[in-house]
Amino acid sequence: MAVAALALAGIFVALYLTLYKLGAIGELSCRVGSCETVNSSPWAVFLGAPVAAWGVAFYVVTFTLAMAGLHDRFAESRRLALGLVLLSGFGVAFSAWLTYLELFVIRAICQWCVVSAVIVLAIFLVCVWDYRAPIEKQVADH
Amino acid sequence: MAQSKKPAGQKGSARNARNASSRPLGFYLILGAIAAAGIGGLAYAALRSDPATTVSDAPVPATPGSSEARGYMLGDSSAPVQIVEFADFECPSCARFATITEPDVRTRIIETGLANLTYFDLPLPQHLNSQAASNAAACADDQGKFWAMHDEIYARQHEWSTYATKNPKGPLREAAQAAGLELKAWEKCFDERRHQARIDANAAEAGRRGVGSTPTFFIGGKMFTGAISYDAIKAAVDSARGASAVAPGSDSTR
Repeated sequence: MAVAALALAGIFVALYLTLYKLGAIGELSCRVGSCETVNSSPWAVFLGAPVAAWGVAFYVVTFTLAMAGLHDRFAESRRLALGLVLLSGFGVAFSAWLTYLELFVIRAICQWCVVSAVIVLAIFLVCVWDYRAPIEKQVADH
Repeated sequence: MAQSKKPAGQKGSARNARNASSRPLGFYLILGAIAAAGIGGLAYAALRSDPATTVSDAPVPATPGSSEARGYMLGDSSAPVQIVEFADFECPSCARFATITEPDVRTRIIETGLANLTYFDLPLPQHLNSQAASNAAACADDQGKFWAMHDEIYARQHEWSTYATKNPKGPLREAAQAAGLELKAWEKCFDERRHQARIDANAAEAGRRGVGSTPTFFIGGKMFTGAISYDAIKAAVDSARGASAVAPGSDSTR
Protein backbone atom coordinates (compact mmCIF):
# COMPACT_ATOMS: atom_id res chain seq x y z
CA MET A 1 0.00 0.00 0.00
CA ALA A 2 2.89 2.28 0.78
CA VAL A 3 4.20 1.54 -2.72
CA ALA A 4 0.90 2.55 -4.30
CA ALA A 5 0.76 5.80 -2.32
CA LEU A 6 4.37 6.67 -3.14
CA ALA A 7 3.88 5.81 -6.82
CA LEU A 8 0.78 7.99 -7.00
CA ALA A 9 2.74 10.91 -5.54
CA GLY A 10 5.51 10.12 -8.03
CA ILE A 11 3.04 10.28 -10.93
CA PHE A 12 2.22 13.87 -10.06
CA VAL A 13 5.83 14.91 -9.52
CA ALA A 14 6.85 13.43 -12.87
CA LEU A 15 3.75 14.86 -14.55
CA TYR A 16 4.64 18.31 -13.27
CA LEU A 17 8.18 18.00 -14.59
CA THR A 18 6.89 16.76 -17.96
CA LEU A 19 4.42 19.61 -18.37
CA TYR A 20 7.11 22.03 -17.26
CA LYS A 21 9.47 20.58 -19.81
CA LEU A 22 6.86 20.84 -22.55
CA GLY A 23 6.17 24.45 -21.61
CA ALA A 24 2.54 23.81 -20.69
CA ILE A 25 3.14 24.86 -17.11
CA GLY A 26 5.20 27.62 -15.57
CA GLU A 27 5.97 31.00 -17.03
CA LEU A 28 6.43 31.19 -20.77
CA SER A 29 10.01 32.24 -20.45
CA CYS A 30 13.53 30.91 -20.14
CA ARG A 31 15.67 31.81 -17.18
CA VAL A 32 18.88 30.91 -15.53
CA GLY A 33 18.11 28.59 -12.66
CA SER A 34 18.78 25.10 -11.45
CA CYS A 35 15.59 23.46 -12.66
CA GLU A 36 15.76 25.26 -15.98
CA THR A 37 19.38 24.22 -16.44
CA VAL A 38 18.66 20.60 -15.63
CA ASN A 39 15.43 20.37 -17.57
CA SER A 40 16.85 22.03 -20.67
CA SER A 41 20.08 20.05 -20.64
CA PRO A 42 20.72 17.43 -23.34
CA TRP A 43 20.16 14.74 -20.69
CA ALA A 44 16.55 15.77 -20.14
CA VAL A 45 15.57 13.84 -23.27
CA PHE A 46 15.83 10.06 -23.44
CA LEU A 47 14.94 8.01 -26.52
CA GLY A 48 13.11 10.93 -28.04
CA ALA A 49 10.87 11.70 -25.07
CA PRO A 50 11.44 13.91 -22.03
CA VAL A 51 13.01 11.96 -19.16
CA ALA A 52 10.15 13.18 -16.98
CA ALA A 53 7.64 11.53 -19.34
CA TRP A 54 9.46 8.22 -18.86
CA GLY A 55 9.12 8.93 -15.16
CA VAL A 56 5.34 9.27 -15.53
CA ALA A 57 5.21 5.94 -17.36
CA PHE A 58 7.37 4.31 -14.70
CA TYR A 59 5.19 5.53 -11.85
CA VAL A 60 1.96 4.57 -13.63
CA VAL A 61 3.22 1.01 -14.15
CA THR A 62 4.46 0.83 -10.56
CA PHE A 63 1.17 2.17 -9.23
CA THR A 64 -0.81 -0.32 -11.32
CA LEU A 65 1.30 -3.27 -10.15
CA ALA A 66 1.11 -2.13 -6.55
CA MET A 67 -2.67 -1.83 -6.73
CA ALA A 68 -2.89 -5.24 -8.41
CA GLY A 69 -0.79 -6.63 -5.58
CA LEU A 70 -3.50 -5.57 -3.15
CA HIS A 71 -6.09 -7.58 -5.03
CA ASP A 72 -6.94 -10.98 -3.59
CA ARG A 73 -5.82 -12.76 -6.73
CA PHE A 74 -2.24 -11.49 -6.53
CA ALA A 75 -1.95 -10.88 -2.82
CA GLU A 76 0.37 -13.82 -2.31
CA SER A 77 2.15 -13.54 -5.64
CA ARG A 78 5.89 -13.76 -5.23
CA ARG A 79 6.32 -13.09 -8.91
CA LEU A 80 4.57 -9.75 -8.67
CA ALA A 81 6.62 -8.80 -5.62
CA LEU A 82 9.79 -9.74 -7.46
CA GLY A 83 8.65 -7.76 -10.50
CA LEU A 84 8.17 -4.69 -8.31
CA VAL A 85 11.63 -5.15 -6.81
CA LEU A 86 13.22 -5.35 -10.27
CA LEU A 87 11.18 -2.48 -11.67
CA SER A 88 11.89 -0.16 -8.76
CA GLY A 89 15.53 -1.29 -8.70
CA PHE A 90 15.79 -0.17 -12.30
CA GLY A 91 14.13 3.09 -11.29
CA VAL A 92 16.68 3.62 -8.53
CA ALA A 93 19.58 2.92 -10.91
CA PHE A 94 18.18 5.34 -13.49
CA SER A 95 17.56 8.03 -10.86
CA ALA A 96 21.04 7.53 -9.47
CA TRP A 97 22.46 8.09 -12.95
CA LEU A 98 20.38 11.26 -13.38
CA THR A 99 21.40 12.55 -9.95
CA TYR A 100 25.03 11.85 -10.78
CA LEU A 101 24.60 13.91 -13.97
CA GLU A 102 23.02 16.73 -11.99
CA LEU A 103 25.79 16.82 -9.41
CA PHE A 104 28.88 16.28 -11.51
CA VAL A 105 28.07 17.03 -15.15
CA ILE A 106 25.29 19.61 -15.30
CA ARG A 107 26.29 20.99 -11.91
CA ALA A 108 22.80 22.08 -11.01
CA ILE A 109 20.12 20.51 -8.85
CA CYS A 110 16.45 20.41 -9.73
CA GLN A 111 14.54 19.98 -6.50
CA TRP A 112 11.58 18.08 -7.96
CA CYS A 113 13.98 15.68 -9.68
CA VAL A 114 15.50 15.02 -6.26
CA VAL A 115 12.03 14.51 -4.77
CA SER A 116 11.38 11.93 -7.48
CA ALA A 117 14.67 10.19 -6.77
CA VAL A 118 13.81 9.97 -3.08
CA ILE A 119 10.35 8.55 -3.90
CA VAL A 120 11.87 5.90 -6.17
CA LEU A 121 14.35 4.94 -3.48
CA ALA A 122 11.57 4.65 -0.90
CA ILE A 123 9.48 2.52 -3.28
CA PHE A 124 12.46 0.24 -3.86
CA LEU A 125 13.13 -0.21 -0.15
CA VAL A 126 9.49 -1.01 0.59
CA CYS A 127 9.37 -3.46 -2.34
CA VAL A 128 12.47 -5.25 -1.10
CA TRP A 129 10.97 -5.42 2.37
CA ASP A 130 7.73 -6.81 0.94
CA TYR A 131 9.57 -9.41 -1.08
CA ARG A 132 11.80 -10.59 1.73
CA ALA A 133 9.16 -10.64 4.42
CA PRO A 134 5.82 -11.55 2.83
CA ILE A 135 4.43 -12.76 6.15
CA GLU A 136 5.15 -9.47 7.81
CA LYS A 137 3.79 -7.60 4.81
CA GLN A 138 0.80 -6.18 6.58
CA VAL A 139 2.88 -5.01 9.48
CA ALA A 140 5.27 -3.25 7.13
CA ASP A 141 2.50 -1.55 5.27
CA HIS A 142 0.92 -0.02 8.31
CA MET B 1 -8.07 1.23 -8.41
CA ALA B 2 -11.59 0.75 -9.76
CA GLN B 3 -11.80 -2.98 -9.29
CA SER B 4 -10.80 -2.92 -5.65
CA LYS B 5 -13.78 -1.01 -4.30
CA LYS B 6 -15.70 -3.99 -3.03
CA PRO B 7 -17.42 -3.75 0.33
CA ALA B 8 -15.06 -4.67 3.09
CA GLY B 9 -15.35 -8.44 3.46
CA GLN B 10 -19.10 -8.58 3.97
CA LYS B 11 -19.75 -12.16 2.93
CA GLY B 12 -16.28 -13.47 2.40
CA SER B 13 -14.10 -16.32 3.47
CA ALA B 14 -11.47 -15.79 6.07
CA ARG B 15 -9.04 -14.91 3.31
CA ASN B 16 -11.26 -12.20 1.90
CA ALA B 17 -11.83 -10.75 5.30
CA ARG B 18 -8.13 -10.66 5.98
CA ASN B 19 -7.38 -8.94 2.69
CA ALA B 20 -10.14 -6.47 3.17
CA SER B 21 -8.75 -5.53 6.52
CA SER B 22 -5.33 -4.99 4.95
CA ARG B 23 -6.64 -2.15 2.79
CA PRO B 24 -8.97 -0.15 4.96
CA LEU B 25 -10.86 2.94 4.03
CA GLY B 26 -7.99 5.03 5.35
CA PHE B 27 -5.78 3.78 2.54
CA TYR B 28 -8.16 5.11 -0.09
CA LEU B 29 -8.47 8.35 1.81
CA ILE B 30 -4.70 8.72 1.68
CA LEU B 31 -4.66 7.93 -2.06
CA GLY B 32 -7.46 10.45 -2.54
CA ALA B 33 -5.57 13.07 -0.56
CA ILE B 34 -2.42 12.51 -2.63
CA ALA B 35 -4.42 12.75 -5.86
CA ALA B 36 -6.17 15.90 -4.68
CA ALA B 37 -2.89 17.49 -3.62
CA GLY B 38 -1.29 16.54 -6.94
CA ILE B 39 -4.13 17.84 -9.08
CA GLY B 40 -4.35 20.98 -6.98
CA GLY B 41 -0.63 21.59 -7.28
CA LEU B 42 -0.69 21.12 -11.05
CA ALA B 43 -3.70 23.41 -11.40
CA TYR B 44 -2.00 26.06 -9.30
CA ALA B 45 1.16 25.86 -11.41
CA ALA B 46 -0.88 26.01 -14.62
CA LEU B 47 -2.93 29.05 -13.54
CA ARG B 48 0.18 30.86 -12.43
CA SER B 49 1.56 30.51 -15.94
CA ASP B 50 -0.56 33.30 -17.43
CA PRO B 51 2.25 35.24 -19.08
CA ALA B 52 0.55 38.63 -19.02
CA THR B 53 0.32 38.77 -15.24
CA THR B 54 3.99 39.19 -14.53
CA VAL B 55 4.28 42.88 -14.96
CA SER B 56 6.44 45.02 -12.80
CA ASP B 57 7.50 48.60 -12.77
CA ALA B 58 11.16 49.06 -13.37
CA PRO B 59 13.22 52.19 -13.31
CA VAL B 60 14.75 52.07 -16.75
CA PRO B 61 17.22 54.51 -18.17
CA ALA B 62 15.99 55.81 -21.50
CA THR B 63 19.26 55.13 -23.29
CA PRO B 64 20.82 51.70 -23.62
CA GLY B 65 23.81 52.71 -21.52
CA SER B 66 27.38 53.62 -22.14
CA SER B 67 28.74 50.22 -23.16
CA GLU B 68 28.93 49.16 -26.75
CA ALA B 69 25.58 47.42 -26.42
CA ARG B 70 23.79 47.89 -29.70
CA GLY B 71 20.46 46.29 -30.40
CA TYR B 72 18.84 45.69 -33.76
CA MET B 73 16.07 48.14 -34.52
CA LEU B 74 12.96 47.42 -36.54
CA GLY B 75 10.70 50.23 -37.67
CA ASP B 76 10.86 54.01 -37.58
CA SER B 77 13.69 55.24 -35.37
CA SER B 78 11.65 58.33 -34.50
CA ALA B 79 8.53 56.40 -33.50
CA PRO B 80 6.85 57.76 -30.36
CA VAL B 81 7.28 54.55 -28.33
CA GLN B 82 10.27 52.27 -28.05
CA ILE B 83 9.85 48.56 -27.45
CA VAL B 84 13.00 46.87 -26.23
CA GLU B 85 13.23 43.09 -26.30
CA PHE B 86 15.85 40.91 -24.62
CA ALA B 87 15.77 37.43 -26.08
CA ASP B 88 17.69 34.21 -26.49
CA PHE B 89 17.58 32.60 -29.92
CA GLU B 90 17.49 29.14 -28.37
CA CYS B 91 14.78 29.87 -25.81
CA PRO B 92 11.52 28.11 -26.78
CA SER B 93 9.41 30.92 -25.33
CA CYS B 94 11.29 33.46 -27.42
CA ALA B 95 10.67 31.32 -30.50
CA ARG B 96 7.01 31.15 -29.63
CA PHE B 97 6.88 34.92 -29.38
CA ALA B 98 8.89 35.46 -32.55
CA THR B 99 6.84 33.10 -34.68
CA ILE B 100 3.34 33.51 -33.27
CA THR B 101 3.00 36.94 -31.69
CA GLU B 102 5.59 39.09 -33.40
CA PRO B 103 4.09 39.04 -36.93
CA ASP B 104 1.03 40.82 -35.52
CA VAL B 105 3.19 43.27 -33.61
CA ARG B 106 5.04 44.08 -36.81
CA THR B 107 2.07 44.69 -39.07
CA ARG B 108 -0.13 46.46 -36.56
CA ILE B 109 2.30 48.33 -34.30
CA ILE B 110 5.70 48.67 -35.98
CA GLU B 111 4.64 49.19 -39.60
CA THR B 112 1.89 51.60 -38.57
CA GLY B 113 4.52 53.74 -36.85
CA LEU B 114 3.11 53.41 -33.34
CA ALA B 115 6.40 52.10 -32.03
CA ASN B 116 9.75 50.66 -33.00
CA LEU B 117 11.30 47.50 -31.64
CA THR B 118 14.91 46.92 -30.68
CA TYR B 119 16.22 43.40 -30.16
CA PHE B 120 19.05 42.69 -27.73
CA ASP B 121 20.79 39.31 -27.41
CA LEU B 122 20.69 37.54 -24.09
CA PRO B 123 22.15 34.08 -24.71
CA LEU B 124 21.50 32.00 -21.58
CA PRO B 125 24.25 29.63 -20.45
CA GLN B 126 22.13 26.47 -20.62
CA HIS B 127 21.51 27.03 -24.32
CA LEU B 128 24.81 25.90 -25.71
CA ASN B 129 24.17 26.96 -29.31
CA SER B 130 22.64 30.33 -28.58
CA GLN B 131 25.94 32.23 -28.87
CA ALA B 132 26.42 30.78 -32.34
CA ALA B 133 22.91 31.86 -33.31
CA SER B 134 23.50 35.38 -32.01
CA ASN B 135 26.70 35.52 -34.06
CA ALA B 136 24.85 34.26 -37.11
CA ALA B 137 22.27 37.01 -36.72
CA ALA B 138 24.85 39.72 -36.05
CA CYS B 139 26.66 38.74 -39.24
CA ALA B 140 23.39 39.05 -41.12
CA ASP B 141 23.13 42.59 -39.76
CA ASP B 142 26.35 43.36 -41.66
CA GLN B 143 24.35 42.78 -44.82
CA GLY B 144 21.35 44.70 -43.51
CA LYS B 145 19.32 41.51 -43.10
CA PHE B 146 19.23 40.95 -39.36
CA TRP B 147 15.46 40.62 -39.22
CA ALA B 148 15.21 38.18 -42.11
CA MET B 149 17.86 36.06 -40.39
CA HIS B 150 16.16 36.52 -37.02
CA ASP B 151 12.99 35.01 -38.48
CA GLU B 152 14.79 32.10 -40.11
CA ILE B 153 16.78 31.31 -36.96
CA TYR B 154 13.68 31.19 -34.79
CA ALA B 155 11.65 29.25 -37.33
CA ARG B 156 14.42 26.65 -37.48
CA GLN B 157 15.21 26.55 -33.77
CA HIS B 158 14.53 22.80 -33.63
CA GLU B 159 17.17 22.23 -36.33
CA TRP B 160 20.13 23.92 -34.65
CA SER B 161 19.33 23.90 -30.90
CA THR B 162 21.36 22.07 -28.28
CA TYR B 163 19.06 19.06 -28.58
CA ALA B 164 19.42 18.86 -32.30
CA THR B 165 23.15 19.19 -32.81
CA LYS B 166 26.52 19.87 -31.27
CA ASN B 167 27.59 21.84 -34.32
CA PRO B 168 24.91 24.35 -35.29
CA LYS B 169 26.82 25.91 -38.15
CA GLY B 170 25.26 23.74 -40.85
CA PRO B 171 21.63 24.52 -40.07
CA LEU B 172 22.47 28.17 -39.36
CA ARG B 173 24.12 28.34 -42.77
CA GLU B 174 20.91 27.05 -44.31
CA ALA B 175 19.06 29.75 -42.41
CA ALA B 176 21.46 32.33 -43.83
CA GLN B 177 20.80 31.02 -47.30
CA ALA B 178 17.04 31.17 -46.78
CA ALA B 179 17.38 34.72 -45.47
CA GLY B 180 19.01 35.69 -48.76
CA LEU B 181 22.47 36.43 -47.41
CA GLU B 182 25.69 36.46 -49.36
CA LEU B 183 27.04 33.24 -47.91
CA LYS B 184 30.80 33.69 -48.33
CA ALA B 185 30.84 36.96 -46.41
CA TRP B 186 28.42 35.62 -43.82
CA GLU B 187 30.49 32.51 -43.25
CA LYS B 188 33.72 34.44 -42.83
CA CYS B 189 32.09 36.76 -40.31
CA PHE B 190 30.51 33.81 -38.47
CA ASP B 191 33.69 31.76 -38.34
CA GLU B 192 35.74 34.56 -36.84
CA ARG B 193 32.97 35.42 -34.34
CA ARG B 194 33.35 39.00 -35.50
CA HIS B 195 30.53 40.42 -33.40
CA GLN B 196 31.08 38.50 -30.18
CA ALA B 197 31.90 41.75 -28.32
CA ARG B 198 28.60 43.27 -29.37
CA ILE B 199 26.70 40.19 -28.23
CA ASP B 200 28.52 40.17 -24.89
CA ALA B 201 27.74 43.86 -24.45
CA ASN B 202 24.06 43.25 -25.21
CA ALA B 203 23.97 40.49 -22.61
CA ALA B 204 25.72 42.78 -20.12
CA GLU B 205 23.07 45.40 -20.82
CA ALA B 206 20.45 42.85 -19.79
CA GLY B 207 22.27 42.32 -16.52
CA ARG B 208 22.43 46.06 -15.95
CA ARG B 209 18.68 46.31 -16.37
CA GLY B 210 17.99 43.40 -14.08
CA VAL B 211 16.72 41.11 -16.81
CA GLY B 212 16.83 37.53 -15.56
CA SER B 213 14.71 35.68 -18.10
CA THR B 214 13.86 35.70 -21.77
CA PRO B 215 11.99 37.13 -23.45
CA THR B 216 11.77 40.33 -21.46
CA PHE B 217 10.29 43.52 -22.84
CA PHE B 218 10.59 47.16 -21.86
CA ILE B 219 7.79 49.38 -23.04
CA GLY B 220 7.32 52.88 -21.72
CA GLY B 221 9.41 52.36 -18.61
CA LYS B 222 7.73 49.09 -17.65
CA MET B 223 9.23 45.65 -17.70
CA PHE B 224 7.25 42.67 -18.96
CA THR B 225 8.63 39.16 -18.56
CA GLY B 226 7.67 36.16 -20.61
CA ALA B 227 6.20 35.73 -24.07
CA ILE B 228 3.48 38.30 -23.55
CA SER B 229 0.49 38.58 -25.87
CA TYR B 230 -0.12 41.03 -28.68
CA ASP B 231 -2.87 42.63 -26.60
CA ALA B 232 -0.52 43.21 -23.68
CA ILE B 233 2.01 44.87 -25.96
CA LYS B 234 -0.63 47.00 -27.67
CA ALA B 235 -2.00 48.13 -24.31
CA ALA B 236 1.49 49.01 -23.07
CA VAL B 237 2.28 50.92 -26.27
CA ASP B 238 -1.02 52.82 -26.09
CA SER B 239 -0.43 53.66 -22.46
CA ALA B 240 3.13 54.82 -23.14
CA ARG B 241 1.95 56.87 -26.11
CA GLY B 242 -0.77 58.44 -24.01
CA ALA B 243 1.74 59.33 -21.32
CA SER B 244 4.20 60.85 -23.77
CA ALA B 245 1.42 62.69 -25.61
CA VAL B 246 0.17 64.36 -22.47
CA ALA B 247 3.56 65.72 -21.55
CA PRO B 248 4.26 67.81 -24.69
CA GLY B 249 0.70 69.10 -24.59
CA SER B 250 -0.91 68.64 -27.98
CA ASP B 251 -2.26 65.38 -29.31
CA SER B 252 -5.15 65.41 -31.72
CA THR B 253 -5.62 61.67 -31.86
CA ARG B 254 -7.27 61.37 -28.48
